[in-house]
Amino acid sequence: MILALLDRLGARPAWLRWGLLAAGLVSVLGLPWVLYPPVAADILCWGLFAVAFDLLLGHAGLLSFGHAAFWGTSAYATGLIAIHAGVPFPLAVAGGAVAAAVVAVPIGLLAVRRSGIYFAMVTLAFAQMIYFIANQWGDLTGGENGLQGIPREVPGLDLSDSFVYYYAALPLVLAGLFAAWRIVHSPFGRVVAAIRDNPARARALGYSVDRYKVVVFTVSAFLSGLAGGLYAVNHGFASLQEVYWTTSGKVVVMTVLGGIGTLWGSLLGAAAVVRLEDWLSTSGFDEVGIVTGSLFILVVLLFRRGIWGTVSYLLQRRRAAGAGMRSAESGNGTVRDPAAGDRPEPSLVKEP
Amino acid sequence: MGHTWSKAAVATAAVVAGSLLAGCGGGGPGSGGGKISDDGITLGVLTDLSGVYAELAGEDAVTAVEMAVADFEKKHGDDAVTDDIDVISADHQNKPDVANTRARNMYEREKADAVFDVPTSSAALAVANVAEQSQKLYFNIGAATTELTGESCNPYTYAWAYDTYMLANGTGTEVTRQGGESWYLIYPDYAFGQDMEKEFSTAIEEAGGEVVGKDPTPFPNDNFSTFLLKASAKKPAPAVLGTLQAGGDLVNVVKQYQQFKLKEKGIQLAIGLMFDTDIKAIGQDKLAGTMFTSAWFWNVDEESREWAERFREEAGTWPTFDHAANYSAATHYLEAVQRAGTDDPEEVNKELEGMEFDDFFARNAEVRAADHRVVHDAYLARVKDPADSETAGDFTEKVETIPADKAFGPPSPDCSMS
Amino acid sequence: MTSFLQQAFNGLVSGGFYALLALGLAVIFGMLHVVNFAHGAIYMLGAFGAVALQDTAGLGFWWALLLVPLTAALAGMVLERLFIHRLAALDPLYNFLLTFGIALVCQDLLRMKYGAQSRPYDEGPFPGSVDLGPFDYPAYQVFVLGAAAVVCLAVWLLLTRTRIGTVVRASTERPELTRALGIDTGRWVTPVFGFGVALAALAGVLAAPMRAVNSGMGADLIIAVFAVVVIGGLGSIPGAVVAGFAIGMLQALGNLYVPVLSQTSVFVLMAVVLLVRPAGLFGKEEHAL
Repeated sequence: MILALLDRLGARPAWLRWGLLAAGLVSVLGLPWVLYPPVAADILCWGLFAVAFDLLLGHAGLLSFGHAAFWGTSAYATGLIAIHAGVPFPLAVAGGAVAAAVVAVPIGLLAVRRSGIYFAMVTLAFAQMIYFIANQWGDLTGGENGLQGIPREVPGLDLSDSFVYYYAALPLVLAGLFAAWRIVHSPFGRVVAAIRDNPARARALGYSVDRYKVVVFTVSAFLSGLAGGLYAVNHGFASLQEVYWTTSGKVVVMTVLGGIGTLWGSLLGAAAVVRLEDWLSTSGFDEVGIVTGSLFILVVLLFRRGIWGTVSYLLQRRRAAGAGMRSAESGNGTVRDPAAGDRPEPSLVKEP
Repeated sequence: MGHTWSKAAVATAAVVAGSLLAGCGGGGPGSGGGKISDDGITLGVLTDLSGVYAELAGEDAVTAVEMAVADFEKKHGDDAVTDDIDVISADHQNKPDVANTRARNMYEREKADAVFDVPTSSAALAVANVAEQSQKLYFNIGAATTELTGESCNPYTYAWAYDTYMLANGTGTEVTRQGGESWYLIYPDYAFGQDMEKEFSTAIEEAGGEVVGKDPTPFPNDNFSTFLLKASAKKPAPAVLGTLQAGGDLVNVVKQYQQFKLKEKGIQLAIGLMFDTDIKAIGQDKLAGTMFTSAWFWNVDEESREWAERFREEAGTWPTFDHAANYSAATHYLEAVQRAGTDDPEEVNKELEGMEFDDFFARNAEVRAADHRVVHDAYLARVKDPADSETAGDFTEKVETIPADKAFGPPSPDCSMS
Repeated sequence: MTSFLQQAFNGLVSGGFYALLALGLAVIFGMLHVVNFAHGAIYMLGAFGAVALQDTAGLGFWWALLLVPLTAALAGMVLERLFIHRLAALDPLYNFLLTFGIALVCQDLLRMKYGAQSRPYDEGPFPGSVDLGPFDYPAYQVFVLGAAAVVCLAVWLLLTRTRIGTVVRASTERPELTRALGIDTGRWVTPVFGFGVALAALAGVLAAPMRAVNSGMGADLIIAVFAVVVIGGLGSIPGAVVAGFAIGMLQALGNLYVPVLSQTSVFVLMAVVLLVRPAGLFGKEEHAL
């Protein structure tokens, strides 16, 4: 029964595509009715963050281990703007996202000078630098006390209830998700994917590889900033936790769990991790790291496609089996739709 | 091969989906609490169950609050304002965002009337904020920041146990008066350390001492040689090295203080913030003779020992000041509810504000109405030589009592309750 | 002047830890093209190993110095065979992610068992101090510096004077050429991984008497070590060692003269190196992954 349904999903006619989109929208709209609203809002923020991160990892092939720098910079900037300027929160969040992008430009320019594993280490190190700065600059950031009392204001709306805030934040998150989707499917996105798959050829074709990387890095940072700002407003404060390396690690876990390069899989990954942590912290088993760490190890060892990638791979296989001769691996070597998750193994970057 | 893989993959997906849905169904929109007294009283202990403060506070803080509830029920019997008092707990992992969500959850979904403990300043400040928004009470025990009774004070938050002023002022003043007149201070370069340094310096100078040098140190840091050498190179050598580091950094300082033989060079060690758990971490023998300020320790007097014995039967370990303060705060909260006849926070506040009391934890205490700071006697203490310890866990001896009016600073002008 | 010399010496001592850790990372990277994120966790486990030997078996520092790295090497080899090896054919970033997961789990397991509080450890050998001319210095820290230097030198000799070393060095510094020459590097992969892990565990044992032993002690350190290897050039073994000692000194002198910068200095230096020599001070351009 379920398999038959999956089979039909795999075929993905147009009505089903719209159906999936509608199902997605309905579950996003319905989330605070089934989950505790502050947790639902957390899922939104982390979901957008993970999608922004996947834009860089899955589509540009760049593993940043320092994305907390952008999430956190925006959390602080959003908070400072909201506290001192008293503007409605969407404006403050937009300002925070711009601040994140501004920080991302120099880091990106330096980091793209290396690729692969070096890129990961360099971004991690720069994020740690931002952490130390935030810690020392206590007059601005509140140091380890955090920046407290970030207001949540929009004229004419009472946002003190998290349930209301969820729906106030939702349009911004949807806009961010839409932007990520548009970028992936734009000509720019295709160049970025081409650079990921074969930087030498892209260079030979006359593309300025580094410039493309910096731009996509900055865009990813901007969207991460959007998420970080909304998170800070959701909780009413920004703390050092937001710029610490564990936050960078958490978004990596979410994206890998959801499926690298699947974009929407990151949403699932984020929802799973946030829900799991919330559940663990009330269940009496306090070692969140053991559970998420083990889950992560399992995924990296056995299910590198992640949740979304595995499901869509299985659908492909069934479809291929149904079609008889066609191989499920046919995605290899042809023009691929990165968002469809039909790659047999997500490739990150090519070995030299 | 491929087939088994796909089966396993479906299984993982199912597990993840399951975890997503597990425990759903509560909450819903706008489930705000009302002013209820008919369904009993719920005390929430929000604490660190897994991190650095899990021993200082942790599970045993919950035990302490449960003891307070049991004692209250025994004392009042059928006359108690309610016969339905629950204690709930949650782990905030010392993270402010987790604390924020959990506190909201406790007030809104689990109908907690008061939240206790919350070690770690950033987390405590986040919870104070939630308390103000939810108009429910919060009794801070584990966090040391004076911010809670300063700029961030609010009518729903009480600070029961200690703060940085108490720590700095006690040690700075008393050690100076006892002859340690020239100080070299090293402090971690973040808000806590910077506050502590200011308060230490003021206390030392007011007591007639002098700060001959001070250095901010990186945080976290595992090599303090630079600062230890600078301190010992001062001519004339300072009498006291004041370290305001906490936790792992404090352990580093003490280990390296010993390797650099500063004690042998006549430089005493004074510690700004030290808990029983730190003494265990470093080793009592290495700290013997070190002075520090403590809000309470279990061996301080007869009444405290009696309570500590009872606590040890329940928890299996000697209580820390945090456990004792949780007990004290929970007890006085319940008594206030009893007197007010309602758990309405405004009515309970009327009972608590300005209240003078005296229990084994808080001697000569008063709940200041102006900033909700509970002032009480504090103790200048010294780490015992292991040979003098009567039992395992008997680390500390009293040097002097610091009277309540001197132990804490005056209400902060930054605090406005309205 | 004395204080300058003293600080420089301090810097060398903390540099010794950087050098040992960076060396282990570099050796592993050279052979497997894997950056071991769990290196900091292994350093932490090394220190806990010393504490556990003391607490449970009453075995002191010297036993720990012998047993802990050996155990770590064995555990490392098992880890390599069980996990790392499976991902060897894939993009090396997968192993980076895998070791990140392993680091998380190790850290939390230790925290579950021992709590997040630091654990006490005896003072270690050499309680006295040594007269170094212009100043006295704790003997144990002089020993740590000596041990780090000796180990680095020994590794260097091993790499340059022995057959195994030649193979390892060749595949680190000239991977294409080595493969082209038909040298089978495969069978050295597991022992080399074990060896790199043992170096990290050794650093952990050396740290136990002078630093706080807790589950978080490796996490922050490893990030600084990453910056060190980026500066030195990950493909270069001398680069890792020299950069390790140099950055230790830079930080110590930074503490003395510009305390505000002492923590960020290593990252600023990394930025400068990336601008000027992206492959690292000792790295070769062709090696830039």
